[in-house]
Amino acid sequence: MTDLSFRGTGAMRLAGFTSPVVGWTLFAVACYLALPLARTGRAFLPLDYGLHPVVLGPALHWLVVVAAVAVTLVYGRPASSGPQVRRRADRALLAILVGVAGLGISLFAEAAPFGFGALGAFLGLAIAAGAALSEGNRVRGDAFTGAGIVLCLTFVTLFITYPLLMVLRSAVWVDGTLTLAQFAKTFSSPLFLFVSNRFTDVDEARQVALWAAAGTAAGTAFGLWQTRTTALPRRLVLVALWLVGGAIGGWAVGIMLWGRGALPSTLLVAVIVAPSATLLGFALALLGQRTNSRVVRGCLGVASVLPFITPPFVIGFSMIFLLGRRGLITYDILGISPFANPLYGIVGVSLSQILGLAPVAYLIMRGSLNSLNPALEEAATTLGASRWRVFRDVTWPLVRPGIAASLLLASIESISDFGTPLVLGGDRNFLATEVFLALTGRYSQSEASVYGVVLLLLVLLVFLASRWMLGVRGFATVTGKPASGAFLPLPRGLEWGLLALAGLWLAFILSLYGVIFYGSVVELWGINNTLTLRHYVEFRNTAWPVVWYTIQLSVASAIPAMMLGGLIAYLVTRHRFWGRSYLEMGSLLSFATPGTVMGLAYILAFNDGTLLMTSTSAIIVLALVFRNMPVAIRASMSGLAQIDRSLEEASATLKAGSGTTMVRVLAPLLIYPLLAGLIFAFVSAMTAVSQIIFLVSAGRNVATVLLLSRVERGDLGVAAAMASVLIVLLLALIVVLLIASRYLDARNRGKGLSI
Amino acid sequence: MTATLRRALLASAISLAATAAAVAQGVVNVVCVTEEWCEALREPFFAKTGIRMEFLNLRSNESLVRIRAEASNPTFDVFYGGTGDPHFVAAKEGLTVPYASPMLSELAPEMVAAVKGAYLPLYANPIALIVNPKVLEQAGAPLPKSWLDLADPKFKGLIGMADPNSSGTAYTVIATLVQIFGEEKAFEFLAALHQNIANYTKSGSGSLQPTGQGELGVAIIFMASALREKEAGLPIEIIVPEEGTGYEISGISLIKNGPNPEGAKAFIDYALSAEAQDLGTSVGSLQIKANVNATPFPGGPKLEEIKVIDYDFEFYGTPEVQQRLIERWTTQIFPVPR
Repeated sequence: MTDLSFRGTGAMRLAGFTSPVVGWTLFAVACYLALPLARTGRAFLPLDYGLHPVVLGPALHWLVVVAAVAVTLVYGRPASSGPQVRRRADRALLAILVGVAGLGISLFAEAAPFGFGALGAFLGLAIAAGAALSEGNRVRGDAFTGAGIVLCLTFVTLFITYPLLMVLRSAVWVDGTLTLAQFAKTFSSPLFLFVSNRFTDVDEARQVALWAAAGTAAGTAFGLWQTRTTALPRRLVLVALWLVGGAIGGWAVGIMLWGRGALPSTLLVAVIVAPSATLLGFALALLGQRTNSRVVRGCLGVASVLPFITPPFVIGFSMIFLLGRRGLITYDILGISPFANPLYGIVGVSLSQILGLAPVAYLIMRGSLNSLNPALEEAATTLGASRWRVFRDVTWPLVRPGIAASLLLASIESISDFGTPLVLGGDRNFLATEVFLALTGRYSQSEASVYGVVLLLLVLLVFLASRWMLGVRGFATVTGKPASGAFLPLPRGLEWGLLALAGLWLAFILSLYGVIFYGSVVELWGINNTLTLRHYVEFRNTAWPVVWYTIQLSVASAIPAMMLGGLIAYLVTRHRFWGRSYLEMGSLLSFATPGTVMGLAYILAFNDGTLLMTSTSAIIVLALVFRNMPVAIRASMSGLAQIDRSLEEASATLKAGSGTTMVRVLAPLLIYPLLAGLIFAFVSAMTAVSQIIFLVSAGRNVATVLLLSRVERGDLGVAAAMASVLIVLLLALIVVLLIASRYLDARNRGKGLSI
Repeated sequence: MTATLRRALLASAISLAATAAAVAQGVVNVVCVTEEWCEALREPFFAKTGIRMEFLNLRSNESLVRIRAEASNPTFDVFYGGTGDPHFVAAKEGLTVPYASPMLSELAPEMVAAVKGAYLPLYANPIALIVNPKVLEQAGAPLPKSWLDLADPKFKGLIGMADPNSSGTAYTVIATLVQIFGEEKAFEFLAALHQNIANYTKSGSGSLQPTGQGELGVAIIFMASALREKEAGLPIEIIVPEEGTGYEISGISLIKNGPNPEGAKAFIDYALSAEAQDLGTSVGSLQIKANVNATPFPGGPKLEEIKVIDYDFEFYGTPEVQQRLIERWTTQIFPVPR
């Protein structure tokens, strides 16, 4: 007894009826008995007691009650030793699984839409199963951890993996046969990749081949150099890998430069956008953290969120007014000929995406920089290191996880963005727009799915690359020991340079938004400049109810997205368990999947049978939760990577459960990443188009879908008014949250408000 | 510890309950492509029949995808508006069913004949050249009178048109040219036109606003939206080419196995009435209405006054024909450098 670990003592403390296994099983039975099992139609309310289990009569779902009785009986006997506790938990787990199976089989056999009774029973049993796994030591961690793991795995499977599998099924399962014909057809289409253009003088195929050859040579040479100390058989394999990698890389560069079509365009833009946005975000975050000027900090804070809270196509439109063929800057000021204007295509899409994604990078880099301990830089300076040396050897390695997270997010966002290319893409095709256009322009669900698969593979590659970058070195800097001292100020020259950059950026952003606001108060954008409030009156009359409904949906989705994201990040970074990488990959998959494919996936998965949820608000909320959760995950993970585990160990030693530790110890230290996740989830929900365009239903339209249809119809005045109201609303909200975060940041307590 | 989890679960259960939806009985659900028109029909329809009409605004092809995806358990009763092709396809796939509305006798016979019973015609909308005279003058290009005028190199970089790979409008343009000139000559013209195109837009009317704002000189699009923008004050002129032009016939279809078929029929009958069609004109849908008793928009086109070609909707609406023409354009016209 004395040599039991603290986890063992925890289990002992919870022995008997006080165990969460019993509590949650009883909760499940209570839901099962108190609420109807199924629904008659789509609507969740009013409750229809005609579908109560007692009315439904004998069936397999009664196994829920049997399971509860069994669990109670098993836990009725005291367990005094480790093996006994374990045996008891295993038996309970078996009983719970029988209950879940009974419930599931009877619902699916009847194809009855699930009701609150089934929902509550299922959730209760899942939590009880998690608690039983932990008591039986099948999962290392306490009941909270066990339940968290089971729930997260279930959610990710049900709302991410399963719908995507339905899409894959529709791509390869055509008219009852398994076929790859659609893949072959799409890959040979000039819309996807077009290299040999017989109408040009250049032999593009040869150029691409040259690039591939150069890549192969470079890869092989680098591989040989990298592995110069490795023994021979292993070295051969590594060099071969470098060779293949180099060849693919060279080929990719070749098609980016010489090819046309969706694949090269998407790659090229991502390669331009991700580093540029990250660099800009990093520069601004550095300035924001280290400048002494409160004004600069305030401006940066506000302006950095501006592009972030606007639907991308709105930025695209105001860019046309500023930089288009007859744009205010390009035509009226710089006098560039309309025919020489390069905006439509790679240039415009890249510029717009950099502006849109720099704030995401800024928020991540700011969080990452704020987790640095100033004492480290101070120590290095005291030891005589130069400023450059301090940056290279101290600051840079510590912000690398943030850089990797930002690169990852920026490239994924760039690859799956569809609003910007739709407005500014010109003649160029992009993978994400092709998904949409294949669905809506060419009516081909299977072709869209093929584009979806290609996008997923791309994202997978990006993810692996960022993992490799993160995996090299990790440092813990938050040790629980007091962090004191001030950050080194920036060198004067650098600060002025950064200020100039920030100023330029601010001016451009302000004019972009000025154009939108201006458009909302004049009669007809660019033609009739009489001031009017008529667009706002029309907005109040027709669009406001839709905006209000969207706000409700966004709140309902952002909070669960943040909590679930934080929980998954905690589980993934702090625990080892079966299905851990699946959890991480699955949640990323939802973020990376182009929105339209996810929307269609939800329709395919939830349109009939037990999981019927289409044409309810619930399905929109769920789609948004699982779509936006990954940012909270990534942000929390990069924060957690810097928090030393000794803090949690101290908390555990003081007998706090991992749930308490998460809420009272980790959450306050993670306030920036969590807040970034919350802001992102809310704002993305407010500005989401692609993922819910298929899920909105009669009487349940959302703001951005309405805005897009107004823009397409040419109602620019009302669209501008709507965009202005949305921007002001979201901006006000974010400013409030940012101010709140200063008061909440654990590391600022006792230091005064020094940010 | 578990208290926190319990609270979290409770919160999410409450949010689920709060967002749960109720479907009332006397409701007809409409997939609607023309948003303001449907908005205008809602109140009068309720006053007349006591049936509430709820609608969702989607683009025409999205509507088809949506109806197809929900085929096993439709949530919508009526498919309203948009281009004719999705209505044709929906009828062919059995997603919609024919409905012999008592209003058929009031509809323009040539439109009813052209759609061959696949759906009920709502309005006709011709393709036209939308020009910004000021831009053309500045660039030294004349006002175009015919399709072939647009092949003149003076129009280089001034013309906007949609990409047929993503837009039904652009396909209608190509099919129109093929029906006027024959396929070979039409593609010769398209190749010359290609040299003058500034950009191919993704959406059908994507070049209308740029033309109004002075980015482009000519847009090749459907006439009605341009007519409305002209009314709103854009400095544009509408030109019907001398050789004649093609058009679309928008429609209204009854969705198979919808939740409220009787309400759907009542709505279709109402939507085809002169009163409902005039409501469309009042909210800026300025197409040529199918109901012969509807009041035409002053200054708007009349089917008998403009030179429309005898467009073969059935043949050029066939997916195989569509696919072949679009593929030919994509491989022979689009890649040519300009």
